[in-house]
Parts: sequence; structure tokens; C-alpha cells
Amino acid sequence: MNNNEKLEKILEKVQKAPRYTGGEMNTDIKGWDECPLHFGFCFPDTYEVGMSHLGLKILYGLINREAWSLCERFFMPWTDMIEQMKEEGLPLLSIESRRPMSDFDVVGFTLQYEMSYSNILAMLEMGGVPVLGSDRGETDPIVVAGGPCAYNPEPLADFIDAFMIGDGEDVMGELNRVILERKEKGLSRAECLRALSELEGVYVPSLYDVEYLPDGRIASVTPRCPEAKASVKRRVVVDLNDTYYPEEIPVPYTEVVFDRIMLEIMRGCTRGCRFCQAGMLYRPVRERSMEKLIDLAEKLEKATGYEEISLSSLSSGDYSCLPELIRELMRRMKDKRVSISLPSLRIDSVLKESLEETQQVRKTSLTFAPEAGTQRLRDVINKGVTEEDLLEKVRDAFEGGWNSVKLYFMDGLPTETDADLEGIGDLARKVVSEYFKVPKDQRARGLRVTVSASTFVPKPFTPFQWAAQDTIDEIQRKQGVLRHALNVKGVTFNWHEPYLSFLEACFARGDRRLGKVLHQAYRKGCILDGWSETFRFDAWMDAFRECGLDPAFYANRVREKDEILPWDHIDSGITKQFLWHEKEKSEQALTTRDCRQGCNGCGLQRWKGVCAYADAGRV
Amino acid sequence: MRMLAVFEKSERIRHIGHLDIQRAVQRGLRRSGLPVAYSQGFNPHILVTFASALSTGACGKREIMDVTMAEDVSAAEFIERMNRAMPGEMQISEARAVDGKHPSLPGLLRAARYDLLIRDPAQAEKLISAIPSMMARKTVPAMRKTKTAMKETDIRPLILSIRGEGHHIQATLTLTEREACKPGMLMEALAREAGIQEEIRVLARREALLGQDEDGRMIPLEQL
Repeated sequence: MNNNEKLEKILEKVQKAPRYTGGEMNTDIKGWDECPLHFGFCFPDTYEVGMSHLGLKILYGLINREAWSLCERFFMPWTDMIEQMKEEGLPLLSIESRRPMSDFDVVGFTLQYEMSYSNILAMLEMGGVPVLGSDRGETDPIVVAGGPCAYNPEPLADFIDAFMIGDGEDVMGELNRVILERKEKGLSRAECLRALSELEGVYVPSLYDVEYLPDGRIASVTPRCPEAKASVKRRVVVDLNDTYYPEEIPVPYTEVVFDRIMLEIMRGCTRGCRFCQAGMLYRPVRERSMEKLIDLAEKLEKATGYEEISLSSLSSGDYSCLPELIRELMRRMKDKRVSISLPSLRIDSVLKESLEETQQVRKTSLTFAPEAGTQRLRDVINKGVTEEDLLEKVRDAFEGGWNSVKLYFMDGLPTETDADLEGIGDLARKVVSEYFKVPKDQRARGLRVTVSASTFVPKPFTPFQWAAQDTIDEIQRKQGVLRHALNVKGVTFNWHEPYLSFLEACFARGDRRLGKVLHQAYRKGCILDGWSETFRFDAWMDAFRECGLDPAFYANRVREKDEILPWDHIDSGITKQFLWHEKEKSEQALTTRDCRQGCNGCGLQRWKGVCAYADAGRV
Repeated sequence: MRMLAVFEKSERIRHIGHLDIQRAVQRGLRRSGLPVAYSQGFNPHILVTFASALSTGACGKREIMDVTMAEDVSAAEFIERMNRAMPGEMQISEARAVDGKHPSLPGLLRAARYDLLIRDPAQAEKLISAIPSMMARKTVPAMRKTKTAMKETDIRPLILSIRGEGHHIQATLTLTEREACKPGMLMEALAREAGIQEEIRVLARREALLGQDEDGRMIPLEQL
């Protein structure tokens, strides 16, 4: 049996076979032989998750747009599929032309979440690509990765040949050209990696030596050749209006997590919330023009037939002409029966007017993210939102006929006390009472308030990158306090066991030595860690022990100012001095203004003409 | 005006369920920009129905959709615009405009013709040689899945014709709103007749949906 026959046989036995079969609208297969460069885009999670991801759609379109390069998709199979593949001796195949990963010139992983790392190892091995970079030979693909987790590439240094840091739109084509050149000129793998290292925003970890102090902290990181830069500067796309955005995107047959058109209205955020890694990494804020967005929306609607458009960004409420944009989109989409949704509403930025316009088409639940239960702690994390703001918005929503509110919080934030946790309960109670203040005949029936608390994970390139995560025991105790505080009629409380957050904290701020732990855990069968049914915490702890490393060193340890952090040789745009200053302010519960009120000198001002708010004169 | 359009559900996408196929057609109609009619009410949807739901795992050569149009369009234009708007796996081969009074397709449906490819040649031979003895029986029981339980049904009167050739079995089976013999039920009965215990891997392809003309002859549903 050939691979295709094997696959067809297996598909009869697995759950959710459409995950693996392809043939979706807008995924027409390009001629393999007509394209000299073959790129395998790998999403290290299931099809449903991967096909909801905007970055996949951007890069898929961008690579396939070029006559000389072709892009096909790979996803992480579910466990039943993996078992069947092993039994039949079937390698991991691309969705489009059903070729094994080893047939591709470049294999690129997107790193959205630390807990998908074991899936990368699994996908490489199943795809017939040596898991360790050092084992790869001249005929093996070059394995690359990008995305937010690439900013701390170190835990994946053993497995990924080259990382792309920052916005991917420009560097993607440059990287593919270098790899195509290698193919055409017959350059060696080593020569190719050195050439890649010369590209701005590309980091080749094998070209650096890392030394450690006896206590496990880093002593030094040293480039090994002239092509390897001492500091790797991230890529920044200056103008989103000139930057590629797909005008047709794949339309899955089955329902995926975000099954709609995602219109990225802007990138970046000016708020400066101190816990938020995305808010730091995607700086500066860059808007797409209204004309461009309307043009894209109309083209995407025609090309997909989707019934829903969501405006996507870190803080859509901050888009400078949001009411105009929504009004214009609604006007044009009404006859086409397309609804417009705003997924990440910030509580202090949505106009009542646009709320009313949203509900004209469809009423969904409203989401607010106060993140912390007291004003003091919200000041610590620089979440510039007050209780009055929140309650006013909630009242507007209830008066406007909404009945469902979701509130997102974190537990384990730096300086948090039990009083802050009790504050979450108080806030929830006040939200409920706002509902009952609306006269019965003027409010929608069936109040639903959902409070979700996630465990705080300190991330690199945030002011909390030096902070300790609470221990698992402490988080569990705090969750008990929260359960008690949120025993309120009309309120549902959601929380998760802290084990996954603990491991996430290890890998988020891990160093190169964690590669061994990851490899060991994978050998023990750890895969699909982000899914509760497959997550095996004990096996991970065994892997740490067997590698002689202490997870608490990574998760629960306070770092000092002078410590060399594993990601210090990556330049995210934000300076370490700015982050340290922010950390010190947070300890005194001092807030930092929104960039739109004046430049705070985060470091992006070093890029000329990139940040509209950077005031050249002062820092 | 309504358009009856014959479309394919290819082998590649045979694991897509009927609800997802319906949604793919709805989105294809939206992409095509054809003047389709929408339902009234709070959540308007395109008025499109299907002659018969095809099981998950089966592919279909001549499935039929019934689209209510808001304005008249020619069959040729319908085909041309839909084929640009539909994935390669779901192309339209024929279309026919009928007036609004045309009876609904599920009510006209009488039977379906299937091609069943038996993947294992040895099994195929055994199954095919068991056809005559099974057909000689007065009754042939098979389990039918109802909404709530499994129910035993006599499928003998529902097998309108059956023959085997090579690794294929061709069968015309009753398919109406009231009763149906699904390919799986036929295979279950035939396997019992052939004394095969093991799982049988079959690729089921529905080749035609059939109705009855005035003379009682089975003809393709879309021609009625």
C-alpha cells in the first residue's frame, strides 16, 4: 500500500476524519514540480485549533502567492490517529498533497503556546525529520519557527534550526529565498544556516555557546561565528496597509474554533498592562486604514461565504475610528446578512452606540477583563480600568438588552493578597446587582455572569519577567479562597488546576537545558499537553528529575536585576531598563500612562518612524 | 423558480457529514453571488434542500440540491457560477430549472443505486458468490438504526437489484421517506450469508438517486 492508501484505510477508523482529509475551499493544490521551494507550515496542535489561527492564513497565502514557493499544512494528529499511523507505518502527511514532512525544503512551526512544544517533537518524528537539529543531514528540511514564543527560543534550541523573531510578513520571503538559493547552488546545511543568521530578525541557536554558573544561572551567551549577531533584533512591519493580508482564506468543512473572517484591524496595544506579553511583543500599535479594511472585508466575504466577520486585535476598542468602521461595515454587509462581532472588548473603550449597533445583528455575551479584584492590584498590573468604568459598561449592556457577561481575572499576580481575591467576589456581586437595578420589563431575562480565573504565568519581555510564580500549593489555596468568595447566586466560577500553568511558567522562562527535559518527557509519551485528557504532569516531573533539573528554579524563583536572562540576546524592541523601571513602579502600585498620552520610552522609539506615539525628543 | 442541481461529494471528502455538506453548499451559494432566496424570520437562511442525506463515509456521484431562486437564472449560468464558487471536491455536473410547484425531491425519491467497492479481494469473491443464495431467501433480516434504538428489518423486499463484478457490488436499494435499506445493512446481511466474521472494508459510492415515472420505471430523480 502507498501512503495515500494507508491514509484512506486509517481514516475509516479514527474520530473526526475530516481533520486529516483536506480539499477545503481555497486550498487548491499547487503543482509540486512547478514550485522550486516547498514550505510545510506546521501548527503544533489539532486542525480545529490551527485553522482558527490568523497567522496561518496570512503566511499560507503569502507563501502560495509567490510563483516559486508552495505552502502546505501540517497539524498535530489526535492520539487515535497517531496509534493508527504507527500501526500502518504511515508518516505524517501534509493536508494538501499528502506528502511526508521529510519531502519539504523548509518546515515551519508557529509557536503560540509553550505547552505545544512536545507536539513539535512528535510532528517532526512522525514526519520523518530528525528531532534534534544536530542529527539532521544535508537532505533533511531546514526546521524554522516563529510566533510569540519564539522571543524566548532557548528551550527549543536543540530542535529548531532557525527562529524568526517578530512580525513574519517580510522575513518569511527572505528566509525562503535563502533556502531556495541553497537548493539551487548546492550550499551545505551549515552554510545555509550561517546565511540565515545574517538576515535581520533571524536567530540560529546552534551558532551560540551558552555557559552556566554553578547555581544554574547563565554565565554568558557567546556568538560562535561572525554571522551570528550578539543581539538579534526583532522584525517590525511599519505600515500594515502596505503589508500582505490574504484576500481569500481556506474555509474548513467542519466547524473550527474561530469559524469566521478575522479582520486584523490593528497590531499592538498602547495600554501597557504589565502582565501582558502580547502587549509588549506586538508594539508599537499600528492601525490598518478604514478603506483598506472595508476593501479586505468585501473581498474576504466574497471569497469565503462566511456569515460572520470579527474585528481582531489586542484592543479593538482603541481603534481610532471604530464607530465609523463598524457603521460602514454594517452598512455594506447588511444585505449580505453578515454579522460583525467584536471579540476583545476592553471595558473602558466601547461606545454605547456601537454596542447597540452590534446587537442589531446578533446578541452575544459581553466579555470584560478587569484581571484583578481591587484597584490596588489593578494599579500594580497597570490595568487602567476602574470599578466605576466596569459597572457603567455593564449597566449600559444590561439596559441595552444583554443578559450574559463574562469576567476574566488572574490569580497569583505579584503582590496579591487574599483581600484582592475577596475583591473579585465583591465585583461579581456588584455586577449582579446592576442587573437587578434595571426594571424587570426593560431587561432581558436569564442573567448569566461567568467569572473565570486563570493562573498568572510570568512571561519574558514583561515587567514581571523577574517575578516568581506562586507555588502550586499556594495557587490551590488561593483558588479555595476564590471559590468561597464567588459563591454568589447567578455567578458561575471557572478555574483550572495549576499544574499546566506551572509547567508553562517553566518553559516560558526556560533556558537551553530544558531541551533535554522536553525530549525526555516526549520519550515518556508526553504529547498534546494543552489538552487535559492527555496532559501527564507526573511524567513531566519525572523528566525534570531524570535530567537533574528543578522546575521550581524556573517557575518559582525571583531573578535579580543583574542576572543574564536566557532571552537577553533577543532584542524585542522593549529595553530591559524600561521593563525594570516598570517592575519597580509596579511594586509601588504606580501606574504608567497609555502611550497615546505621551511616549513612555519603552525602546521602540529606536526604530525610526515605526511608532506614531514615540516622541523623538524625550525618553 | 427553483434550480435542481446535480453535484458530487468526492471520495476525498467522504468523511464529511451531511450537516457540514449543507453548510458548504450554503457558503458556496453565497460565494457564487447567485440571486438565491432566503427564508423569512429572525435568522434568515438560504432556501436550499437536499434530495437525501448521504451518510458520513460515503461519497456520491450524483447528489441533488434544490435551490429556491429569488430571480430567474439559466441552468448554464448557475453551473458556471457555482463551479467557480465550490471546492473541486463538490462540483456541479448538471442543473435544471423547475417552477415553484415542482414536488419536493425527498417525496419523489424511491431508490438509490450504489457501487460498493470491497477493499479485500478475497472477501469480495466470497461476498459476490453469496448473492444468489441471499436473494433466494424469503426474508433477509438486518439491523436498522432508528433515532432511539436498533430495530430488525426485513431488507429482502428493499433490494431492487444486485449484482457483483470483480471487487464491486452494484445494488439498487429502496430509499424513501418511510423505508430504506442502507448499504451497511446490505453488507451486514451479505457477510452473514457468506460466513464472514471479520470487518469488511467497503467504499460506498452513491451513483444515482431514482424516482418513478408515470409508467413505473425508475429514472434519475432530477429528470422527473
